[in-house]
Order: sequence, then structure tokens, then C-alpha cells
Amino acid sequence: MKRAHQQHRHQPFDSILAALSVDLLIQILERVDDPRDRKAWRLVCRDFLRAEALHRRALRVLRLEALPGLLRRYAACLDLLDLSACPGLGDHALATALFAGAGSWLLKSVSLSRASGVGWRGLAALAAACPRLESVDLSHCVGVGDREAAALAAAEGLRMLRLDKCLRVTDVGLAKLAVGCPALENLSIKWCLEISDIGIELLAKKCRDLRVLDISYLKITNSSVKSISSLGKLEVLSMVGCSNIDDEGLQFLDNGSNSLRSIDVSRCDNVTASGLTSVIEGHICLQKLNVGDCFPELAPLFLSKLNGLKDSLTVLILDGFQVSASSLKIIGVNCKNLSEIGLSKCKWVTDEGISELAAGCVNLMSIDLTCCRMLTDKALMAIGEQNKKLVCLRLESCSLITDKGLEHIGTGCPNLEEIDLTDCPITDTAMKYLSRCWELMILKLGLCDKISSEGLVHIASNCQNLRELDLYRCIEVTDDGLAAIATGCSKLQKLNLCYCIQITDRGMKHLSCLEDLRDLELRGLHHVTSLGVTSIAIGCRRLTELDLKRCNLVDNVGLCALAQYTGNLRQINISYCPVSSMGLCKLLGTLKCLQDVKLVHLTHVPVEHLELALRAYGGQLKKLKLFIGLRDLLSPWLIQMLHARRCRIRWVDKPLVFSP
Amino acid sequence: MHPKQMPTFEACSSMSSQSRNLNQNQRATEFDARETEQSLPKFSSHLDNSFHQSNQAQRVAMNWDPRAVLNSLDILGQKIHQIQDIVRSTLSDERQLSIQPNEFAAQQQLINTDLTCTIIELISTAGTLLPLIKNALASGINSSGQIGGIANSASDLDLVDILRQNDNNLLSEGTKDSEYEELIKGLSDWDDEGMKPISTEDNDVKDNEDGVSGENLPLGSYEVLQLEKEEILAPHTHFCAICGKGFKRDANLRMHMRGHGDEYKSPSALAKPSKEGSSEPVPIKRYSCPFIGCKRNKEHKNFQPLKTILCVKNHYKRSHCDKSYTCRRCNSKKFSVMADLKTHEKHCGSNKWLCSCGTTFSRKDKLFGHIALFQGHTPALSMDEVKSQGMSVQGQSDEVMAKEEDIDYLISGNVIEDTNFSGLNGTDNDLGYFSSMNFDSFTFGGIDGLQQPSFDTSESLFSFHK
Repeated sequence: MKRAHQQHRHQPFDSILAALSVDLLIQILERVDDPRDRKAWRLVCRDFLRAEALHRRALRVLRLEALPGLLRRYAACLDLLDLSACPGLGDHALATALFAGAGSWLLKSVSLSRASGVGWRGLAALAAACPRLESVDLSHCVGVGDREAAALAAAEGLRMLRLDKCLRVTDVGLAKLAVGCPALENLSIKWCLEISDIGIELLAKKCRDLRVLDISYLKITNSSVKSISSLGKLEVLSMVGCSNIDDEGLQFLDNGSNSLRSIDVSRCDNVTASGLTSVIEGHICLQKLNVGDCFPELAPLFLSKLNGLKDSLTVLILDGFQVSASSLKIIGVNCKNLSEIGLSKCKWVTDEGISELAAGCVNLMSIDLTCCRMLTDKALMAIGEQNKKLVCLRLESCSLITDKGLEHIGTGCPNLEEIDLTDCPITDTAMKYLSRCWELMILKLGLCDKISSEGLVHIASNCQNLRELDLYRCIEVTDDGLAAIATGCSKLQKLNLCYCIQITDRGMKHLSCLEDLRDLELRGLHHVTSLGVTSIAIGCRRLTELDLKRCNLVDNVGLCALAQYTGNLRQINISYCPVSSMGLCKLLGTLKCLQDVKLVHLTHVPVEHLELALRAYGGQLKKLKLFIGLRDLLSPWLIQMLHARRCRIRWVDKPLVFSP
Repeated sequence: MHPKQMPTFEACSSMSSQSRNLNQNQRATEFDARETEQSLPKFSSHLDNSFHQSNQAQRVAMNWDPRAVLNSLDILGQKIHQIQDIVRSTLSDERQLSIQPNEFAAQQQLINTDLTCTIIELISTAGTLLPLIKNALASGINSSGQIGGIANSASDLDLVDILRQNDNNLLSEGTKDSEYEELIKGLSDWDDEGMKPISTEDNDVKDNEDGVSGENLPLGSYEVLQLEKEEILAPHTHFCAICGKGFKRDANLRMHMRGHGDEYKSPSALAKPSKEGSSEPVPIKRYSCPFIGCKRNKEHKNFQPLKTILCVKNHYKRSHCDKSYTCRRCNSKKFSVMADLKTHEKHCGSNKWLCSCGTTFSRKDKLFGHIALFQGHTPALSMDEVKSQGMSVQGQSDEVMAKEEDIDYLISGNVIEDTNFSGLNGTDNDLGYFSSMNFDSFTFGGIDGLQQPSFDTSESLFSFHK
């Protein structure tokens, strides 16, 4: 920083640096939190830009073509580089980008999630260029295999690694990593289906410092659990859906040799209450227990053992169980410190049970009651009265609750941030009550067909922090409601307006002032035309996902606007839209970030033009949805090329029907 | 010892093929003539007796060719002369006292085996006489003095073992059996004084599969039989009394016998001979390896007997014979037992697991066990790449080239962009490393050993940039 200061000493006196040193600028910058304000800061002048570059530690790159320039500016100080939004990133580009800052990389964390173009050469270059590398995220890079793992194993200091769904990593790749990165503390190999007991055994022998391990959905057996049980520092173990593991395996964990804090055995079909009992016995400090969808009934023995965890247990997920009122009472009595409980799709959950639970666990912050259909307003009253700290409440398909119940929530839980009321028979009155929860960030009102604009006005009047709003099939909602939302909830990022059939271009015009909007679903809006889409495209520059399926009036003009303004668009669905070849070619030819494109039944686009448009696309397409009839009409060369570029084509076998 | 033994073995087999025209009288006289020169005079006289007894029975059934028999007997005579020479040389050596005790023991062993081998040849030559010899021998055993008399050397014991072994089930009376066993014990005790076992490396790897080490029979609760090497290696152990054809199994012989007349077709003739008169408990039999110093040899202090003849055969071939069967796939693994080769060939080449240190494993868990043990070892990537490493450098680089082209094709969309901004960076030279033109100058090897250098190169490029 001092050096930077000296460099600019010879600047003219009207420079801001004459009055404020870079150090001071940075101190000011630290107090600017909002990314939009930061952007404004950067645009002030060159010196401000430099100060920001010196201050920045994390960088998420949204467009590949911007990467070299960004790295040239920020390379020196970055700790975290997120390239997950650049699917087109290949070895070539990654290595080149790394050259930009060669020698000065202090990078500790790199996210290459879904960057499926990166191969072993890129990773080798990364490992070589960043000696301080501690964390790498390669999740959902389905092409990553043993070679890539071997290349990454050169990063000796690696402490955290995510390999979720790296389908081609086998025991050999895991062994490479285990030998090369002995300091690994956090490893996720979820969905790496090729990994077997042998690999896990070696991992447990070589990486003795492992604290967090995710082995969900692997085809491993009890012997893996035995190896894992020898890891003395293990704290978090996730083994979702390991159906080859049974009680015998869990018994290996009860030796208490590790400091397990959290265990997730949900969807392990062969695990029963006795296996879990042994786990609980072995670890009296267990904080988090997820046993969802394991076995149908809560055994009394298991419930009584929860008593042993009474001080430590904070999270208990019991999805899919038969939970009677007495069981909930026992939980309420035993687990006083519980902060999160999951009762999704549990049978026999009654008002009485919830009342007992709420009375016992007053610290509950998150309650999941999805599909507990027997609950009425009484349960909500109990929750509202007892659980003042509630943050998250999920009530999807609780079809007996009414506005009255939500009154208790609105008054009793001021900290509420997330509520799911999908398919609940509530009206605008409920919105009035909920608007008291001014910290609300996520509100889901799908299928609540009695909600109208009036309700949205209530929400918009007080919930300024709203980030996500789901109005799926709220057919009463009109443009006025959207106007209120657009002005009141300016931080909205995700909005679902599918089949809100009264909405017109005017509503779109209102929405266009939502600068943060990223994900917009407009499925089946018959009154929205290209004009509305154009206003969205111009206003919501950050849009990454857009669903225009069955918007019968959106044509080329809309697509051209999207092509011109929403450069960050990653997913788009224009199935059934009356767009023609020109619009499609413009869209695919201009937008470089598109990853997921759905083009089913574009009746106005001839096959030749569709082929041309797809050939013209220069980015990295990952998913493509087309009508099955085109499979034989498109040239095999094109399909082959798309496959070679790791694009998955989903052929839809649906006849063309013009009703929504 | 081996090369010397092999011709004997061949001679043996050739003679057994000639034995169909055996002239018994001539054979007997020939043997008598040599009686005085032999170290086994009394035994041969036994044989002689038995031959005389069986004369009437055999002469009717067979057609003798005197010339063929004479030939075989000539060969036998030469062999016996050779043995005589060896014995004489030993005697002279003993007088000079220049010989090492070990060497002496080895020589004695040599003589023993040679002699027994000769006798076996004789027996197989006179295959037709075998049952009769047995009877004569069994009756002779009854008088213990006589046996004590013939037990002049260790080889006699071996011979007795072999004979007994050959047609053990013919010894019908249990009393004779036990008496006989006592004698053998006495003899083996006597043997121990005369010979020190030569300590040889015990490389009996597959003993566990031979099925013995599990059991802990107290010494003496079983009888120990020892086959001779030649017999172990002989292809056939059962011979047709009429035509002399050899068989591996007694059952096959019995089936064969049906062709020689109706009397062999009766159920009693076809039944297992051991069944008759087996009311008494059959003593447990265990086998000793003829190789002195082997753990499976009865003179070894931690003697572990072998359970069956098959065990003996497999053990002897695995531990004391050349491995003559080579795997045709890998051309490196050798076996002495055909079955072992076949087992190996089932798996050979199908799954090769290679460690970065170069060690190969047939199974993945073995490789991973190895990696767990040694610091810094990692598994090599895959079999294809290992193969490419084994091939010539040219072939390998070709393969790599093919891969590069593939990659270039895939990322061709990005090439243009990259080159566009490369100008801004001013790092054109560095970029050259990643451009498609220069890829072939680097060998991206298949396994670690080769891969590492290529990584090093890239590293040096980076450090150069620093």
C-alpha cells in the first residue's frame, strides 16, 4: 500500500489522493457493504478503483471474457477466486488467466464448480501457480476423473476439497489425493459412485486430520464406516443414501474415538433405531442428527437415548417418521437446546404434539412442518407464543391452517426470515399479519389462489429485505401488486410469476426497476409481450435465469432485447414461444454465458435454422432441451459436436398442445 | 542332482512301454547274475522269488519278446554299473578322509536315489508282476529278521514305502499293516542316526493349500509314507497287469481292465479294492517329501506331513522342481504345476494394478494395502497408460498427440478469445506453451514417473515468469 502511495505522489494536486491516502480510502471502503455501492465507488475515479483493487479479497467472475482483465487488476491480493459461473472455462483459459498473476498469487480458495471444461492440465497449472492453495471446489464437474485428481494432488497444502458428482473419480484418484494432500480437513466425495471401501480405507489411513467428510450416496459398506471410525478428529459425517450401510456399520462409530458433532444418515434404508442408539451412546456431544427417511417408526429406546444428548443436540431431522404427540413431548422434554427440527412429511403430527414441542424447545429457530396435514391454527398459536426466536417456518400443504394462525406467527416471531405457505388456504389478511416480520427474506405463496395484489401491498409496505418471492399460480395477483413489490422490496432476487395470468406488460415495466433480480419465471403469461420482456431486459441487467415458456406473445423483439442487454443470462426457456429463426440466432449468437437452453416446440423456426443457431453458439452449452422429433432431423454431426462439448441433450416427447 | 535324474526317468517310461513283451525268466536270470555286485542283493532275491511264484499265471496270458526285455535290462545294467562306480569312489574318498561330512551325506543321498530309481524302473518294467511282488513281499515282511537284514541303507526303507504306497490297499490284513508300520518306525529311527538332514531353504509356499498345516496330529498317531522323487514325477502310477498301460487313477485302470475279459467286469472287480475287509479302522496316513531338509521331510525337526499323494505331488513340483510352465500372456510368471498356470492365466493381464514405485499387483486391495504402508507411494493411473509406457516412446507420443488433438477440438471455441486477450497481457511467449502447436514437445506420460517431469516443466515456466 505504501508503494502504491508513493507511485501516486506525483499526481496532480487535484487528485483525491492529495487529500486522502490509499490507506484512508480503504478504511472508508471497508464501511461500504452493498455491492451496488461498491460498484458506484469503482466508477468514481482511477484512484478509487485502485483502492478497491487493493482491498478486494474475493472475486466471482461472471463472464469468461472479463477474466484476464479482472485478474490483471486484482491478482495481487485475492484470496478467493470463484469461477463457477464460467462454464466455458477450459484448461487453456485457466492457465492463461493464471499467467496474468503469475508469481504473485496468494490465492487460498478457488471454486471451479460446474466448470466442466477444466481438465487435468488446468488443475496442474493451478496447483503449480498457487502454492498457498487451501480450498478447491470441483463439485459437479462430471468430467473430472483420476487424472484431474492426480493433478490436484500436487497442491500439498490443500485442506478443503469438494468433489461432489465428479463421476469419474475412482479409488485411484482418491488415493492420489489422500497421499498428495495429507492435510485435508474437509472432503466431500458425494456422488463419486466409483469410489469403494478400499479407497475410503486408504483415505482414513492417510488423511488423519479429516474433520468434515461427506460420503453420501456412495456404494460403500460397513467396512468403510469402520475405517472412518478411526479418524480421531472427525466432526461432521454425512452419509445420505448409503443403503449398504446398516446398524452393524453404525456400531463401529460408537467407540467414541472421534469427536463427532454431526451425523447425517438420512435415506440409509438399512439403518434402524438400534444402530442410531449406538451412535448416540458413543457420542454424548452430538449436536446434529439427521435420520430422515431411514425407518418409519420412532422407537421408544431411541427417544429415551436422546436424553443423553439433552445439552448438546441442536438439530434433529426426523423427516418421514411417524411421530406421535407423546414422541414430540419426549423430544420437547429431553432436548431443551434444540434450534432446528425437521418433521417434513411426518405422519401423526398433531396440534397437541407441536404444542408440547414448542413448550419444551423454546429456542427453536427453524421448524419444518411440510405436509403435516393435520395441523391447525392451534399449532401455529403454540409456536407463535413459545418460539420467539423463530427464523424459518415451513408449512407447505398444511391445508387446515388459516389467517388466524398466521396472526400468531406475525406477532410472536418478529425475527422470521423464511416462511413457506405453498398450497395453504390463506388470504390477504395473512399477508397483513406477516408484514410485521420485517426481516422476511423468503416468502413462498405458490398455489395460494386467494392472495391478491392487496396482500402484496402489505408485504411490500414493510418487508424491504425480501429476496425471494414465489407467486406460482396466484391468479388474483395483478400489475398493481407487482408495482408495490417493485418499489417496496428492491432487493428482490428471485421472483416466480408463473401462470399469474392477469399480469401484463405494465407489471413487467414495474419489475424492471429491480436491479438485483436474478431469477425470473414468467411461464404461461399470455398478456406479456416482447415489450414487457424488453423492459425487463433493460432494467434487470443481472438476470441469469429466465423462463418464458408458453408466453404466447413474446417474439423476436423480446429475444433481441435479451440478447442485447442481459449478458449474464445463463438459463433460458423459450419453449412454445412464437419466436422465429432470426431471434433465436441473435440470442444464441450474442449471449456467451448460456448454459441451459430449452427450445421445445419452436414452431416458427425451421430445422435448418435451428441447426444453424446451435452451430453459431460460441459458449459452453451444458443442457439443451429439444423436441424428440428433431433427433433425426438435426445433423448427426451437430449432435456429436454438442456431446463432445459436454452438452447433454434432453429429448422431450410431448405433443404440441396450445393450451397452458 | 536334477540333470542326472532326468535321463533315468525317461528310460523308465520307455521301458514301461516295452514291458508288454516282458520275458520273465530272462529277466530273473539277468538279475541273479548281478546279485553279488548289488547293494541290494537280498531284495533282488525277493523279487526273484516272487517272479518264480507268478510264472505259471503270467506265462499263459502273455506273449514275451525276449529281445526288447534284453535291451531294457542292458540299460538297467549300465545304470547299476554307474552306481557301483559312485559307491566305490565314495569308499576311496572315505579312506582319504578328505571329504566333508555334508558332501558325504549328499553323495549318499545321490546313491540312494539312483538305486531306488533303478528299482522303480525294474518294477515298472515288470509292471505285470506288481501284485505278485506285493504278495511275496508281504509274506516276507512277516519274518522281521529278514526285513532287518535288508535295511542296509536308507533307500531300502524308501523302497518299502513305495511298494506299500503303490498298492497299499492290497495289504488286506490289518495285523500285517500295523506290524509293518512298527518296522518302518524302527527303520526311520535307525535312519536318523545315519543321516543329517541337509538344511535347505524351505520355499514351500503353497503348503497351506496342500491342506496340512491346519491339523495338529500328534507325532506317531499317523503313519508316514514317503514316495520317491521319480514316482512323484511319474505321469502314471497305476499299470495294467496285462498290457502294461499306465493310468493316473486306479479307477481308470479298473475301467480299462474291463476290456481284458469278462472276469474284470464283475461288480467286485470294479469296486474299490479298499472297501473289502475294511472293517478295521484304517490308520491315518500322512506323506513325507523325499527332499532332505524340506520341512515336509520326515527328518525335519518341525516335520509337517502332507495329507495326500496329490499334496505330495504338488508340493514337490512347486518346491523342488524347475518351473517349466511359463504364462503365455505375461511371459514372466512361471509355474511347475500345470493347474497353477491355469489359475494364473485366468487372471493374468485382466487387472494390473501398478504403484508409482513400479510394483504391480493383481488386486486393487493389495495395491492399496501397499500404498497405505509406504509413505509417498501412489497408484498409477490406469492400465492403458501403463501399457503405453511399456511401448516405444514413439507410440506413446502418438497417443498423446491424438489426445491433444481431441482437446484442441473441444476448446477450439476458446482459442480465439484467449489469443485475443493474450495481446493485452503481453505474454505471447508464455501462451505458446499452451497453444496447440507446442503440445507435442511435451510428453504427457501415462504414469507418474513420466507425468511428473511434464508438470515440472510447467512449474519452471511459472517460476520463470516470477
